[in-house]
Amino acid sequence: MAASGQSWLNQDFTGDDEESDNDFNPGLEVPSDAEADDDEVAKPQASARRAGSPSDDESAADLKTNGKRSASPVKGGKSPPADDDEGEEDEGQGEDDENGDHNDEGDEDEGEDLNGDEDEDEDEEDEEDEDAVTSRPRKRRRRGLNQFFEEEAEVDEDDDDLEAEEDDLGPEFIQDTHPDDDLPPEADQDDRRHRELDRQRQLQQSLDAEQEAAKFRERYGRRTTTALSNSSFVPQNLLMPDVNDPSIWGVRCKAGKERDIVHKLMKKFIESQGSRNPMRICSAFERGDGPMAGYIFVEARRKVDVDDALTNVADVYPRSKMNLVPVKEMPDLLRVTKNKELEVGGYVRIKRGIYQGDLGMIESVETNGLEVTVRLVPRLTYGMDEDHARPGSGDVKRKRPNAFGPVNSFANRPPQRLFNENEARKRHDRFLQQNRGLTGRSWSYKGDLYEDGFLIKDFKLQHLITDSVNPRLDEITKLTKTAADGSELLDLESLAHSLRNTAAEGNYVPGDEVEVYEGEQRGIVGRTEAVTGNIVSIMVTEGELTGQLVEVPVKGLRKRFKEGDNVKIIGGSKYRDEVGMVLRIKDDKVTVLTNNSNEEITVFSKDLREATDAGGSGAGASKFDVQELVQIDPTTAGCVIRADRESVRILDQNGSVTTRIPSQVQKIEARRNAVATDKNGSEIRLGDVVRESGGENKSGTILHIHRGFVFAHNKLGIENSGIWVARCTNVITTAAKGGRITAPSTDLSKMNPALQMKGPDMSMAPPQRPGRDPLQGRFVHINKGTYKGHRAIVKDTTAGEARLELQTKNKTLNISKFDLSIVDNNTQSKTRYEDWIRTRGGPSAMRAGQGVPGSRIPDSGFGGRTPMGVMDGGRTPAWGGASRTPAWSGPGSSGSSGLESGRTPSWKGPSGSQTTYGGGGMTSYGGTGNYSTTGSRTPVWNAGAKTPYGADHGFNSAGNSGFDSFAAGSRTPAYTSSSRTPAWGGPGNAASAPTPAARPYDAPTPGISAPTPSASGRYDDDAYTPYMGAPTPGAGPQDAPTPAASFAKNANKEPLKYNRLGFDAPTPAASAPTPYASGAFDAPTPAAGGPRYADDDEED
Amino acid sequence: MFFLRYLEREISIHPSFFGNSVHQRLKDQLYADLEGSCNGEYYIVCIMDIYNISPGRVRPGSGDAHFTILYRAILWKPFKGETIDCAVSSIKPQGVFCEAGPLTVFVSKLHLPPDMRHNPDATPPQYSNNAGDVIEKGSAVRVQLIGLRSDVGNMYAIGKMSSQWFG
Repeated sequence: MAASGQSWLNQDFTGDDEESDNDFNPGLEVPSDAEADDDEVAKPQASARRAGSPSDDESAADLKTNGKRSASPVKGGKSPPADDDEGEEDEGQGEDDENGDHNDEGDEDEGEDLNGDEDEDEDEEDEEDEDAVTSRPRKRRRRGLNQFFEEEAEVDEDDDDLEAEEDDLGPEFIQDTHPDDDLPPEADQDDRRHRELDRQRQLQQSLDAEQEAAKFRERYGRRTTTALSNSSFVPQNLLMPDVNDPSIWGVRCKAGKERDIVHKLMKKFIESQGSRNPMRICSAFERGDGPMAGYIFVEARRKVDVDDALTNVADVYPRSKMNLVPVKEMPDLLRVTKNKELEVGGYVRIKRGIYQGDLGMIESVETNGLEVTVRLVPRLTYGMDEDHARPGSGDVKRKRPNAFGPVNSFANRPPQRLFNENEARKRHDRFLQQNRGLTGRSWSYKGDLYEDGFLIKDFKLQHLITDSVNPRLDEITKLTKTAADGSELLDLESLAHSLRNTAAEGNYVPGDEVEVYEGEQRGIVGRTEAVTGNIVSIMVTEGELTGQLVEVPVKGLRKRFKEGDNVKIIGGSKYRDEVGMVLRIKDDKVTVLTNNSNEEITVFSKDLREATDAGGSGAGASKFDVQELVQIDPTTAGCVIRADRESVRILDQNGSVTTRIPSQVQKIEARRNAVATDKNGSEIRLGDVVRESGGENKSGTILHIHRGFVFAHNKLGIENSGIWVARCTNVITTAAKGGRITAPSTDLSKMNPALQMKGPDMSMAPPQRPGRDPLQGRFVHINKGTYKGHRAIVKDTTAGEARLELQTKNKTLNISKFDLSIVDNNTQSKTRYEDWIRTRGGPSAMRAGQGVPGSRIPDSGFGGRTPMGVMDGGRTPAWGGASRTPAWSGPGSSGSSGLESGRTPSWKGPSGSQTTYGGGGMTSYGGTGNYSTTGSRTPVWNAGAKTPYGADHGFNSAGNSGFDSFAAGSRTPAYTSSSRTPAWGGPGNAASAPTPAARPYDAPTPGISAPTPSASGRYDDDAYTPYMGAPTPGAGPQDAPTPAASFAKNANKEPLKYNRLGFDAPTPAASAPTPYASGAFDAPTPAAGGPRYADDDEED
Repeated sequence: MFFLRYLEREISIHPSFFGNSVHQRLKDQLYADLEGSCNGEYYIVCIMDIYNISPGRVRPGSGDAHFTILYRAILWKPFKGETIDCAVSSIKPQGVFCEAGPLTVFVSKLHLPPDMRHNPDATPPQYSNNAGDVIEKGSAVRVQLIGLRSDVGNMYAIGKMSSQWFG
């Protein structure tokens, strides 16, 4: 009986077993097994099944009871009307199928056993029957959970057997023997089942007919087709819990401990199974962190069972109010939320403790998913913050032990540093222990494990942030292991993997040329059209699929580049934002020659993006640019040789290379006009090409001049991005910057410099004294007046007076500068102001007159000249009052050139071109001074210069237009600007001035003839005819200019080589000035000479 | 590759320069500005002639006059894939720097003939192979450009020497 029943069952299900059950059950069974193993949160299954999972025997039994309970009525009910009509039978079978499917899940053990038996003889079935019979008592023994159900089940089983037998034998057989004959007596009596059948039929009919038809079609069509979607097969509404199912109670527990408790319960459940009173709960679960935190849910038939189960379990509070979950809400309680899987190598952040916010890398994940081993960069003090003077027990008395104890607060936690056993040994030797085995780089310190300098620590999952970690590159590099040789073992693969989730979409932009290297579509080349999530649509450009749109997952994709492409490095490598050219491609590794540093680096193609051909370094990556001058510390400056996002590499002035983070260094304002002298004393400026003298003979163009150091850049240099550093005195200039002397082009968009000079000249203010009066702050002795003999400090000065603060009295007074003597701080010797100011002028004049010529003067001369201006101003009254002759003659003999040259520029101080002119003039005068060292001559010139000045002015204003604006303009300012008129005129009001002028005119004719050519050389030819005409001697030299002019021409022709000719060989006095005229007149001469260039060239 | 091309250049000039020499000034300016310059795409080798200087237009506000100059110039534009002859200017372990006129070409070691070995001990340092070929500073080499980069006013190229048709 039983055997036949089973075979009937089987026959009904064979199809199921093979087709649907195998597919269908795993969905239900496998998870339940998995649950039993690792007990994940996800527990979507029907409660009954879950209950079974902990122990198979029990569950089988339990389920069987359930299954049979529901199955039996049908079959019981079916047997009587079995022969009524086919349709009804069909329906019944349909019903059976449904129920059977449910049962089968539980019954599978049996079902599978019997699978082979379906078509076999009755003999075998008998044997089976015996088996079944023998096994039954065992089952009965084991069960005992619910007596009533068990009996029902038994009867039911008999019923099943019967039905199955009938089916097996076929319709004829049924007709032969009336089924009622074989029914057990109680089957008749049990009309409850009839009622149930009726009820079910009603229910059935109430279902939508169409739906039903579909269901049937599916059910029976299934036998012929092999594959069908199974999802629609399980009517969800029949799986829904109803009142007959066990109830679920929500029990309060300690928040955060939910999963622990469930684990404990499971353990307890398993242990209790062998005991006398096993736990009678079906399942227990929790809902994690969400709104249901602080609750666990226990499924059981009775509340008492729950109470029993939860007694003596920590952290759960069954005594508090238990919530019975309404049947309706049960499914919601079991809804699955897919939670992120943690993978080894992934990045997490720590939520609390001193490592709060720190990035960690997952080393391993415990199987229960509760604990994660994380690698961190430790923050350790090694006991350095402990107060050793205080006994260790001091903390006990303290009310707030943390107030001065080891730093635990987030604000002043120790910085992230790799574990250093040596430091740990210093104070905490007793806490330190080396772990045996492995690499020997594993240490235990204060109960924590350190490997390779990293802290390896277990964290509970709820203490970690796993979502949107967004690791930054610097953090990642900190976490990166370094190999013994110092190279970084940055696992690009894992890094890319961890970054993929965050940056995957950004990695591909429409238009990228890509290649599929993995998966079915391998080998396809195309351009990306669109990117949605991790799927990229590609327009195929090569091969037979050309023109088609293909969708490919990101992971099988890589970008394609060609040699020579300009690319920018994106993505997570440390070279991020570098720009370079592709040198070589191998698989998906691309070698790139960076623009900035001429380095060859190899990266993955996915980290590259095509860049525009136009260069430009990785702008925006760093606030520093390569080749920029930065201050490292107050005494050290350096030049940036590489700028990353996170670090700046600097070549400092001593030639060593250091790496700093950007915040540690400051930019230095570049001095555009910095000038220095090289080994040979020639001047060098920014942009000049210099060569290292000695050493490696490196050459390069000067980037920066900073305090005696030259930073130069060699375009071909590889090391340090081609930048090198040397002392100024160790380089030799090889070529001056082209534009400086030889090609002084006029900026046509600016005011014509020639004209520009004139305006201010007309109404020139008295000469300004640039800079600070050197008298200020000096210690002086008062020579005259009420305070004669007092000493004082000069607080301020005006043109003629000094404001003094007396040392003896608290008083300030104004006294003429010439009533003062300057007290030397060291020797205490007193120098009269006149003498002092002269000696002050002397050296600087020496400097200027030394033959340090031309364009150097503006720089060095300026400093020296400043006092000149002062002297001048200071002297003004002196000139007026005292006889000028000694003042002039004195210098005339001792260092006339010096004094004069010193003075001349002072007049001309205010404008650039004047200054150079002054320089020129100065030197030439120095020359003349040497010629005839008569003191009288100096005034001659002055006078001469002065006198024409008046004329000049008028002349200029009147006849300027007739001139080449250049010639006039350029020279006029040179002269005019010097505007001796006011300067001299002021002091010159003393009629003494002109007088000497008049005097020398006739007297030192030879003297004047000498300088004049120089002047005329400068004035060249046409412009000054009137001026030339005026002074008789001036007329003489008019033919003199010719050599000067020709010289100028020569100089123009070969400007590069001979631009310093004048400086080097100032042999003839006349020739010396000439180059100045040609070269040093910044604006005018070139302009004048400019057109001539072309002419010259053409002539040549 | 060299080209002869008509080009235009606009120059503004300050009113203070107005006068009968203004055209000469413009020409000077044009020569000074452009000859030997590089705009990132090509080098202007030489300005052949100036065809036309437009009448100046005074700009309202500033008073500057604006001239458009039409001129013809010889250009040199290097192309990717072009083969050029150049002179080696320096030898590095990473490769060779060559100069083709104003253009600096870097040939990585990867793109030198495979049998060429860097020999830093030779004076001057050189790349050489067993057949006796030597690349040292000053050698004339033939290079195929494989990549070009242009900065403002400058160009830079990488090339290769490992292909077969380089005599």
